[in-house]
Amino acid sequence: MYSRRSVLGLPLAGVLLSLPLPVRARSPSPGVLRFAWAQNVGPLNPHLYAPNQMFAQGMVYDALVRYQPDGTVAPALASAWEVSQDGRDYTFTLREDVRFSNGEAFDAAAAKANVDAVLANRARHAWLELANQITKAEVLAPFTLRLRLKDPYYPALQELALPRPFRFVAPSQFRDGGTKDGITAPIGTGPWVLAETSLGEHDIFTRNPHYWGPAPAYDGITVKVMPDPNTRAIALRTDQVDMVYGLDGPLSPDTFAELARSGQFTTGLSAPMETSDLALNTNRGATRDLSVRRAINHAVDKDMMIETVLHGTEQRADTLFAPNVPYADIGLKPYGHDPDRARALLQDDGWEETAPGAPRRKAGQDLLLELCFVGTDAVAKAKAEILQAQLAQVGIGVRLTGEEESSIYARQRDGRFDMIFNRTWGAPYDPHAFLSSMRLPSHADYQAQLGLPDKAEIDAKIETVLTSTDPEQRQALYRDLLTRFHEAAVYLPLTYATAMAVARPEVGPLVFGAMSSEIPFERLTPEAG
Amino acid sequence: MRAYILRRLILLVPMLLGASLVIFLMLRLGPSDPAMDYLRLSKVPPTPQALAEARTMLGLDQPILTQYLHWLGRGLQGDFGISYALQRPVLPDLLHFLPATLELAALALAFTLAVSVPMGIWAARHRDRWPDQIARLVAFLGVSVPNFWLGFLLVVVFSVHLGWLPPMGRAGPASLILPVISVAFMSLAINARLLRASMLEVAGQRHVRYALLRGLPPRRVERRHVLRNAWLPVITATGMHIGEMLGGVLVIESIFGWPGVGRYAVSAILNRDYPVIQAFTLMMVVIFVLCNLIVDILYALADPRIRQTPEEPA
Repeated sequence: MYSRRSVLGLPLAGVLLSLPLPVRARSPSPGVLRFAWAQNVGPLNPHLYAPNQMFAQGMVYDALVRYQPDGTVAPALASAWEVSQDGRDYTFTLREDVRFSNGEAFDAAAAKANVDAVLANRARHAWLELANQITKAEVLAPFTLRLRLKDPYYPALQELALPRPFRFVAPSQFRDGGTKDGITAPIGTGPWVLAETSLGEHDIFTRNPHYWGPAPAYDGITVKVMPDPNTRAIALRTDQVDMVYGLDGPLSPDTFAELARSGQFTTGLSAPMETSDLALNTNRGATRDLSVRRAINHAVDKDMMIETVLHGTEQRADTLFAPNVPYADIGLKPYGHDPDRARALLQDDGWEETAPGAPRRKAGQDLLLELCFVGTDAVAKAKAEILQAQLAQVGIGVRLTGEEESSIYARQRDGRFDMIFNRTWGAPYDPHAFLSSMRLPSHADYQAQLGLPDKAEIDAKIETVLTSTDPEQRQALYRDLLTRFHEAAVYLPLTYATAMAVARPEVGPLVFGAMSSEIPFERLTPEAG
Repeated sequence: MRAYILRRLILLVPMLLGASLVIFLMLRLGPSDPAMDYLRLSKVPPTPQALAEARTMLGLDQPILTQYLHWLGRGLQGDFGISYALQRPVLPDLLHFLPATLELAALALAFTLAVSVPMGIWAARHRDRWPDQIARLVAFLGVSVPNFWLGFLLVVVFSVHLGWLPPMGRAGPASLILPVISVAFMSLAINARLLRASMLEVAGQRHVRYALLRGLPPRRVERRHVLRNAWLPVITATGMHIGEMLGGVLVIESIFGWPGVGRYAVSAILNRDYPVIQAFTLMMVVIFVLCNLIVDILYALADPRIRQTPEEPA
């Protein structure tokens, strides 16, 4: 019945599209910075971990001391401190002008109550050596606090600067006399106050009227929840947020490069924060051979990887720690990209070429390595593919194993890998806490080093360096340890990861925190207007 | 009819029990260790001691059937455990996020019907002419374009370049437009095509020709004889679209920063946050089954042949 009729007919409901609605929003008020983050900031208990976001804990709570880019610490809530001769007693003189954001005074008693609350939950903080070291906190005077340690532990001040757990909430907010079961409200001494949380939507911070430091330029910070990096990029472009900042890919590398090219945003990369590397297993398969590990170090063109996959957002790493890490600037000679040298090393060690592009052989064994990475991590996958192609050129076959994050963690723990992606911990954990973790069987580093003839000696030296009180001895020990790792080629350092920041021009010059876990909103200086 | 509905409702119970068992077991068949996931998400270093403690705390040292019954028993009392990643009870959060998702899905469904029905009729009336070609093109695009890609495309055009519509968030009716179109596009394309085909098929049948020969006005024939029969496959398809839409909404929510249950679930899946995945999947099964039930009832109401079939002996 329909084939011959022609009736112009029913309206399409596409009318929705024909109603332009002006929605290009400006900042709710010029004094508020709109920031994007993957999830809500959490209840902000200063003494607990996930789901509390470290950057937000750092906004609300202060530490006794502040970590600086050169690895030393500066005064914060403590204006001065003394370390006893034996390195076991730390006596802090506290600032007397500090109030919590609810007006209550911060003094040695409040500080002690917080340290006690942390120690009451010591097992939870056992990963942090300082939590095992502190035996007690004492109030010597209304504004004098003493911490006693079991052993002399030189990184004590650095670990006190961490965003958690040694920060201070008003004791009036404790629940059941402590904090391990929660707090009433996040009342700290820091520059910001958490004013409002809307689950899955945003968190709103306002300026702390009682803040003891210089008042921040912004009146407040709105943290919008945006889990998807592409969404964050669109939010920047459509003026829904003013700034995106972070270490672990807050934007994809190509998006960052594109936003930088557009000229509409201020973009910046921090100094090296952490090292991204491959741990090479000295206790399994062909990577047992020093020649193979060294050949891997010569075969990989990191600059090409940085240019293509990372769009220049990270820097080439030649050693396990960047030279800006304390004790790590010891002039180690980089392996350097040299495929011919890699081939020669393998040939001399008996790994014979079979056919061009095919894995070499030695004693009936193929030179075939397994590289494990988190399958959903697109950047890791791209890096892995480049490594596979480059190693193939020198006769090293690579089998890529992309798995779920938890499977990769399990492999790190029990050493089921030839090569695995690994990361140092960044400031202020590098180098001391990262080296300390090399002694624990549950870490990829321990598993990777297990085949080294001097592993026991390495572990003993790590133990010594952490309790050494003499800075020169400490430097010598670090030099010795880092040289051993480098010579034995236990690692293939790939890149030094940097924090990236992209902001609208009104935000003014970008500033980066000394620790990757902090975002210094209070130091931003937006342009007038 | 009432007996039919009642029987379907009773059937829900074994169906949900079966689904819950499958959901529970499937997650545990994977290669990963829930205790390890728990520690990783709580940002606790997985020392052997911490792992052992976590296993006991999460009840992972019990036989798997005990674990299941324990989970089921508590679930029946409305307690689906605590999210590993967020350290918050699962059910209140699910219920907090659900309305936003239902809002999006319901509007997408309404939009699908509002567009696809007129478009299908229009295309059928103008078979092989330009309205039909347009409908064909839309259908072709609809089934070929993935919804997340369409979402980004709409954002780029209408938010980034034209600045007409907000690219994200849940603030007022304007913020609904782009996500609703992204979610609905595929379903409306299929629906329109289906209605057109169905109408053309019915239009060729004898009773329609006869009605026309009797001299009844064509519009009336269309309304009373063609559409009433052509509806039926569309109703069935709509039931399936509801599932597609809920699935589509999950992805679209991440793109549009829509604070719904999908974003909550997607991050839980990426994190392997077991309690959330289990509760979420079970909730989706319930919604899915209920929607199908409603569709079946509507079908029975629309088609007297089904309604008047005597109940077959059990």
